[in-house]
Amino acid sequence: MNLAARDVRRHLPRFVGTAAGLGLLLTVVIAMQGIYAGMVDDATILSRAMRADLWIVQRDTRGPFAESSRLDPSVEARAAVVPGVRGARPYTYQLLQREHRTGVLRIALVGIGWPDDTGRGLPLVHGRPLAQPHGEIIVDASLGLDLGETLTFAGEPYRIVGITRNALTSGGDSVAFITVADAQLVAYDQPPEATVLERARTVERLRLTDLGRGQPALEDLVTDPRWRPPALASPPLAAVLVTVDPHRLRDVQDILERWGDVTVYTQNEEEELLLGGVVERARMQIGLFTVILTVTAAVIVMMVIYNLTLEKTHDLAVLKLMGAPRSRLAGLVLQQAWMLGALGYLIAYVLGELAYPSFPRRVVITDTIRAIAPAATLVMVTLASLLGLRHVMRIDPARALEG
Amino acid sequence: MTDAVRAVGLYKTYGRGSSAIVALDNVDLALPRGTVAALLGPSGSGKSTLIKALGFVSPAERGEVRFEDRVVVKDGVPLADLTRLRRQHLGFVFQKANLTSFLTARENVEIACELGNKRDGRRRARELLAYLDVVNREHSYPEMLSGGEQQRVAIARALANEPSLVLADEPTAALDSVRSRTVMELFRKVAHERNAAVLVVTHDHRALDVFDVIYEMEDGRITRAAGTQPQARIG
Repeated sequence: MNLAARDVRRHLPRFVGTAAGLGLLLTVVIAMQGIYAGMVDDATILSRAMRADLWIVQRDTRGPFAESSRLDPSVEARAAVVPGVRGARPYTYQLLQREHRTGVLRIALVGIGWPDDTGRGLPLVHGRPLAQPHGEIIVDASLGLDLGETLTFAGEPYRIVGITRNALTSGGDSVAFITVADAQLVAYDQPPEATVLERARTVERLRLTDLGRGQPALEDLVTDPRWRPPALASPPLAAVLVTVDPHRLRDVQDILERWGDVTVYTQNEEEELLLGGVVERARMQIGLFTVILTVTAAVIVMMVIYNLTLEKTHDLAVLKLMGAPRSRLAGLVLQQAWMLGALGYLIAYVLGELAYPSFPRRVVITDTIRAIAPAATLVMVTLASLLGLRHVMRIDPARALEG
Repeated sequence: MTDAVRAVGLYKTYGRGSSAIVALDNVDLALPRGTVAALLGPSGSGKSTLIKALGFVSPAERGEVRFEDRVVVKDGVPLADLTRLRRQHLGFVFQKANLTSFLTARENVEIACELGNKRDGRRRARELLAYLDVVNREHSYPEMLSGGEQQRVAIARALANEPSLVLADEPTAALDSVRSRTVMELFRKVAHERNAAVLVVTHDHRALDVFDVIYEMEDGRITRAAGTQPQARIG
């Protein structure tokens, strides 16, 4: 006869209630781990989707995701002619926040090097890659936008032609992809007033020079709307993505690293930068929360098991007096703890399946989490039952005779 | 007639030094199989201490307990597996029935069968409940049973392993006089029909006529033994 099952049957509502409480705690603990796994995945998915062997960024920076990187556009052409390089593409990255419909969209806008990169390597679930150099955009499904819908940046419409899944930044922002040319238009969009003011400043500066005073006709040039002030440089890139012959990766990296104006990272180094710099603090914070919640759950289970055992002290003393071996009574407590843990985990699993997709951050339940969570629950409830077990061992069967 | 249990020179104190209280003072007692005996005495006279010593729950400091002619405890030292002895040869009935609260009436008896390695515990449990006329309540939890029904179930549980010795500690304290007498008569029936020795600690003088032997205790000693087969040495 399984005494634990009989006791649970007798106190079923309370047992299920306790398991539900434990389940809720486990749901949060597992969610914490899932959020962390999601952050790691989000942090690397974007860089992996770019399919680059080397990332060239501004000298002494850890760009483009960890910090701002401004790279001269000429780097793309310079890199493309290095022996062993198969291709070099420009890459830009910026965060935008725009009102759309009735809400606010927060978007990490990535510029990709069209036509070499059309977004074919992205995790597309609907639509197609970019097919023209201007006016098309690929967005992540997490933005809640539909194919064919139009977004407006810098006064220009961009039609959604593709939808990705799980293209998020390590900060949880949804990513959208347009051509680098479009991204630079968005980034360096200048209102007409700024252009007029810049022209006026140029005329003033011109008049302060001998050349300007000697050749007043030059003023007509700087006020011509087709004229572009030479003081404004071409928009910088965030990075240049390089693909190389597999067996020449080290050689190409060595050559690029000798350039004084850039820093070069391999794909692995780029991922480590993302994980180490951006995710590390979150990992520690989530780890701390996980430990606190796990200890809290363990203490609650411990007190529940202990109280359940205390309530049964007289029953257990009677059973001891009748000759029940200690192992049988210890088994009662242990099995009850395991049942509590199993039911709690089951509730957490079901709740998680229902609730995690609605979380604002992506919750990724990895195979490791799936394997470790039930094992950790088992260990936790086993440890939590030790106090109850100690009590069982110390029960004097003579107590049964005390009435 | 074979003695189910025999106590020789049991001595036990509580406390130490000048504050020590003698709970058992050189108690000799023998209970043959098939005998139902009452143990009377005021509170603090040593009745419960004696029943704990005879039930191998709390051994006396000096003296010996023989179980079916074998010395199993001598001067407080167990010479046999007492837990196993309790499990297989002893039955206990308590003041408040003390049924396991989360088991049904039948399961309370069945677990005792199981602990004693009796086969077909469920069938045996139902037979015992029928024997004690409570089989109709086999699926009820203890709290759903009346005091009398609880005691019947407790007696059925005590009989689960065909014990040589049944020890009952004030089993009728919570019952009215009619039910008390019924329970006492059940003990007599058990002793005579199942050839067990039954020792009943009681304050209840209303049903003493059902006992074969009556012992009285005071200050840790047996002061009187009366009945058809007195076995106690009055010390």
